[in-house]
Amino acid sequence: MNFYITYFIVAIGLFGFSAIFALFGVYAERKVSAFIQDRLGPTETGKFGSLQTVADILKMLQKELITPAAADKLLFMMAPGIIFIAVYLGFAVLPWGPGLAPSSLNLGLYYIFAVLSIETLGILMAGWGSNNKFSILGAMRSAAQIISYEIPAGFAIISVVMIAQSLNLQVISAQQGIMASEKITFAGFWDVSHVGGIFAWNVFRAPHLLITFVIYFIASLAESNRAPFDIPEAESELVAGFHTEYTGLRFAFVFLAEYSMMFLVSMIAVVLFLGAWNTPLPNIGAVQLATWTTGAVWGILWIAIKTLALVGVQMWIRWTLPRFRVDQLMNFCWKVLTPTAFVCMLISGLWRIFLM
Amino acid sequence: MSMVQFLFYLMSFIALASALFVAATKNLVRSIFMFFITLLALAGLYVLAMADFVAITQVVIYVGGILVLILFAFMLSGKENLNYISEQQNKFISIGKLPAILLAVLFLIVLVNVAINIHPDSLPWIQKSVAYKNYIQPDAAMTENIGVNLMTRYLLPFEAISILLMIALVGAAHLSRKEAKP
Repeated sequence: MNFYITYFIVAIGLFGFSAIFALFGVYAERKVSAFIQDRLGPTETGKFGSLQTVADILKMLQKELITPAAADKLLFMMAPGIIFIAVYLGFAVLPWGPGLAPSSLNLGLYYIFAVLSIETLGILMAGWGSNNKFSILGAMRSAAQIISYEIPAGFAIISVVMIAQSLNLQVISAQQGIMASEKITFAGFWDVSHVGGIFAWNVFRAPHLLITFVIYFIASLAESNRAPFDIPEAESELVAGFHTEYTGLRFAFVFLAEYSMMFLVSMIAVVLFLGAWNTPLPNIGAVQLATWTTGAVWGILWIAIKTLALVGVQMWIRWTLPRFRVDQLMNFCWKVLTPTAFVCMLISGLWRIFLM
Repeated sequence: MSMVQFLFYLMSFIALASALFVAATKNLVRSIFMFFITLLALAGLYVLAMADFVAITQVVIYVGGILVLILFAFMLSGKENLNYISEQQNKFISIGKLPAILLAVLFLIVLVNVAINIHPDSLPWIQKSVAYKNYIQPDAAMTENIGVNLMTRYLLPFEAISILLMIALVGAAHLSRKEAKP
């Protein structure tokens, strides 16, 4: 019975982590946006406004839950839960360090791909349940966008899997550092099995994965409905898109899902392309930097740093680039990203046959 | 009752109950969302049968693809059509349903017959597998197996299906094309 209790503790811990991350993610987003727009951002509550989001969530918890009279009450009520749970399920297989993963599924990557597609359903549910024109338009846009961008993201993932030959996220992680059980080469010619560090990361093992990484990153922005792909909630046209009618705790769940999704897609990008929990420091002769900085605690540190850096890039992009128009969005996905991802997949196959 | 049996009955119950709701309810949107629960329960049953790859594929294709497409079709269709469907008179037994009932009853007879007569524990190939310990362990990685079999033993059906999908894609692209200016 004991391991069931462990499972529950791990699940509650992950939930707590995503809640705390969302809390400080919102704060960071405000400070980053303030910096980019040459403002100060929150300053009043706590030192440097650091308690602002805590105050916000306290306010949100006390708010009344308003349900529109014409809404489909059941769907309206359940939608935020489904949106959040779809993202939260993905956290179950993420690797945090060597031997440290809530569940080391041998289909982990495919599993994440599957549960993330459930989110679309929750968004459509929210849009339809609200019985509001803005909501339904936002939901339709969101679903169309997520389905379209799943294709380049999927091909980007496949080109990594072809190099790694595994769907297990722990195996993919272990391959990108000194803990690899096979021979790894930098760009196909320099054996770095014992050097490790940044040279063993997937993006440098097969350089075409750099392009794939950019494709995946763009597609993941679109999948988490972040600017410049935030036409589902374009506030100048649609008020707030699919979550127009939500208040209080339900709105908090939609928000929590968005920030968890940002973290989740960034972490997948780190695991697939940027060396997962492996250190960026290589072994140089007697200075065994990579060997010294590999381990469970170091793993958590490295993967957290890399993931937060990617989340930072997402925020930076959001406050720098203007929003896409719908037709530009679709053209970009189908005419640029998808063919490029196809070419990358082809190169992956050739790379696997001739250079590995 | 072991944990696995309990889970099997739970999933089967959820799948059957939600499927009944899907068929019986008049609220079309709710029935589509309920179908989602049926599909997830089926995925759970696949996991119990140690077909985890099939389970996840089921979620990707049906929940992420087909169900969303059904919702799109529903939300884009006109209100008159939908009203017509929900206003249909719904008698449980009518002459129009006779072929369906006949088919269902015949299938039921076949299924019950199979379930009574098969005696799964005494089938020769199952006994052989048990004797040679030729069965799947819970922690086995089956993806390679599926890939190798698709590319060798089942290559012809695989290619035939891919050609079928290709034809569908070309057809869809042709249908959605703008008319050339005369």
